[in-house]
Amino acid sequence: MWLWFSKLGSPKWFYELSGRWLPWLTAAMIIFMTIGLVWGLLFLPPDYQQGFTSRILIVHVAVAGTSLAFFPLMFVAGTITLVWKMKLADMVAKNAAILGAWFSFVTLATGSLWGSVMWGTWWEWTDSRLVSMLFQLFLLIGVISLRSALEDSETAAKACALLSIVGCINVVIIKYSVEWWNTLHQASSPISTDSSSPNGPEFWIATLIMIVAVYLFLSVSLILATRNEILERERRSQWVRDLVLKS
Amino acid sequence: MSAKQTTTSAAFLATLKRDLLIAIKKKNDIVNPFMFFIIVVSLFPIGISPESDRLREIAAGVIWISVLLASMLSMDNLYRSDYEDGSLEQLLLSPHPLFFLVLAKNISHWLVSGLPVVLVSPLLAYMLNLPAQAYGTLILTLLLGTPIMSLIGSIAVALTVGLGSRGLILAVITLPMSVPVLIFGTLAVQSTLNSLSPLGYLSLMLVMLSVAISLAPLASAAALRISVN
Repeated sequence: MWLWFSKLGSPKWFYELSGRWLPWLTAAMIIFMTIGLVWGLLFLPPDYQQGFTSRILIVHVAVAGTSLAFFPLMFVAGTITLVWKMKLADMVAKNAAILGAWFSFVTLATGSLWGSVMWGTWWEWTDSRLVSMLFQLFLLIGVISLRSALEDSETAAKACALLSIVGCINVVIIKYSVEWWNTLHQASSPISTDSSSPNGPEFWIATLIMIVAVYLFLSVSLILATRNEILERERRSQWVRDLVLKS
Repeated sequence: MSAKQTTTSAAFLATLKRDLLIAIKKKNDIVNPFMFFIIVVSLFPIGISPESDRLREIAAGVIWISVLLASMLSMDNLYRSDYEDGSLEQLLLSPHPLFFLVLAKNISHWLVSGLPVVLVSPLLAYMLNLPAQAYGTLILTLLLGTPIMSLIGSIAVALTVGLGSRGLILAVITLPMSVPVLIFGTLAVQSTLNSLSPLGYLSLMLVMLSVAISLAPLASAAALRISVN
């Protein structure tokens, strides 16, 4: 177990392993993404209340759900960085912050596109989820800017790890306090397989496919970015030189 | 190492006393954030509206946001001069738990930067036409909220203490974290204005303060050890 764990920390090992995984993950991502997007955006029957606008939700819900995974991910990576001083965890955390900020932004953008039709407004402070997502974006930007401000990469790794842990706890507190602040928020619709529900099962199946697709997209981009990071940071090591000379 | 010459509580008090003395000697560090707070509050009626009805609605929020901004400004000199003259390293080397030394520094910082702001807030609340029944709640929320801000801000200051030019990074990191405090602080005042009991919000802030006192110095201490190596 511990051998496996310390192996995981080695960038070279991760590079080789992820190289083998990457084609499969990419293929799966393309399949799910194509099915989800084509079916969800072009063929899904309109919602009985929202009409065709509901198709935006297929993408929005998937991206929003995924963007909630970033702070927990950074929390784990940060703990590993601080406790076991594993370089790889920091490389993942660095790119997770950037991707997380981008996912949060896309969540806000697709959400306000949908809101502009359904609520008649692009932005609504009374919706607690919009506001807490906005502050998650701000916190992620804080982590990114702390990293860019610190020059020494080891200090930056530990400092960002600590800030991610503090930030993760804070995101939870912010989420609940914003919900308290707004009693107007709408509850999320539970997934229903019940045939009596007005929309039938197509809706949540499409959303589910899209969620899988977006998670795969997240893994593929995170792996690609981490591999880049590995090559850049380990550029003086022998195995990276051999790799470059071979190609 | 020979027998410990001081107890932890003595070290705690010594740090507290030292920081208070330094703050009293360097009056600028106390006066400037304080003046900043008063000036920012005075700008709102000019920028938004001098009408007393509208001021009444925004008074609590204006005071709270100005407090947050002023605490950002005063935060900057929490560890900086100690870092520059090397006494921060001595603090890290001391045999006492860093938790208590950091807590002492945070308390002294709050006494010189947070407390004056709390004390002057009724005057500003009067100028913003806040109804008198809400003064007590406003002061209580500030008393509970400003230490939380000092404790959270201390983490960010500790993380960035080694930076040459910090600029606004402190605010970018800390201000988003102040949302819960801002929400409950203003909600408590708001509910007093609506003749409801603010007790629920105040106790929530008390919870946050106790969690912050027990956890934030840990994070600050870890951050100091990261920044100073």
